[in-house]
Amino acid sequence: MRYSPTLVDHFLNPRNAGLMREADGSGSDEYAGCGDLTRFYLRVREGHLAEARFQAYGCGPTIAAASVATELAAGRAVEDLATLKAQEIEDALDGLPEDRKHAAEVAAGAMRAAALDALRRRHGNREA
Amino acid sequence: MVDPDDVRRALRPDTIAISIMHANSEVGTIQPVRAIGALAREAGVPFHVDAVQTFGKVEIDVDAMNIDALSFSGHKIYGPKGIAGLYIRRGTKMVSIQHGGEHERRRRAGTENVPGIVGLGKAVEVRARDMKTEAEAVSALRDRMWEGIRARVPEVRLNGHPTERLPGTANICYRNVESESIVLALDLKGIAVSAGSACTAGSVEPSHVLVAMGVPLDWAMGAVRSSLGRSTTAEDVDYVVASVTEAVRRIRQAMPVGAA
Repeated sequence: MRYSPTLVDHFLNPRNAGLMREADGSGSDEYAGCGDLTRFYLRVREGHLAEARFQAYGCGPTIAAASVATELAAGRAVEDLATLKAQEIEDALDGLPEDRKHAAEVAAGAMRAAALDALRRRHGNREA
Repeated sequence: MVDPDDVRRALRPDTIAISIMHANSEVGTIQPVRAIGALAREAGVPFHVDAVQTFGKVEIDVDAMNIDALSFSGHKIYGPKGIAGLYIRRGTKMVSIQHGGEHERRRRAGTENVPGIVGLGKAVEVRARDMKTEAEAVSALRDRMWEGIRARVPEVRLNGHPTERLPGTANICYRNVESESIVLALDLKGIAVSAGSACTAGSVEPSHVLVAMGVPLDWAMGAVRSSLGRSTTAEDVDYVVASVTEAVRRIRQAMPVGAA
């Protein structure tokens, strides 16, 4: 098996999969040319992530990366998530094969987009 | 399916040969070689058939089908790897492409692979004996698998010709599921299948066969091919059906709404 036991576990038992209604922030990222797509929905309480859900279309590592990202993001400051690096997701999966690094890139990109959306909405609300 | 009329229209005065794959290796559709053979004979053009997928699995009659040359391979008929055969009709003009010795009546230079040849001979003998009964049994299992999957998994389609097909090949599309994720899920269950699309760094290529057949992308990306054979049992098939059902349900749960 070219994938780590952690990756396989997240693929077989994805955490926090599915849609979230009335999320405080959402964002997606796509891997051009490959069609892989990941989307996160965030519930934010006092600037920190209370709950995250994901939807992913792609190969096994893409699904696993999205799943593990919802776990490693739990409780963190949204500002912090707005700069999340792919390497952190890859490390949480105990590594990715060279030709599947994009799984972590897509998950990180989608998480950053969702966090930025949450931040925008919060500032928007203050102004309004 | 290849339309014999398309073959006829492709013929030119300088056409030196017609070569057709007897069955498509991805979807298992069997091509109308008899009709193509007839028009080849009519046009006086030598007719070659790549029968690697069909030899020993479906009936081939080189005389009735007007086949002048036919290739087949050992590894596809439970024989040894690294050995294959080429049937050549007596009187067909052939030019050697491998020089340097007098072997095989100067047709192909090089020391013969005797164990391979013996193994291939035995494999052909066994196929001739078992082909008909096995083809029926394997087709029934393949149909059991497809019916089982169709009854349990929404949005699936069977690719290829509904009746003119190889006994053991089932190429199934799961809409809006990426085939590689199914391959991984089944691999973890000890089931070996192949993906109709391959995602490598930088690009994903849906099967050119499915695209040429007009299968839309949201289906073609989720193509999975299974091959059944003489050792496959009904129990195996039921295990595959259950595993596929569970895997597709789980993967679709994590799917973005409206993803292509």
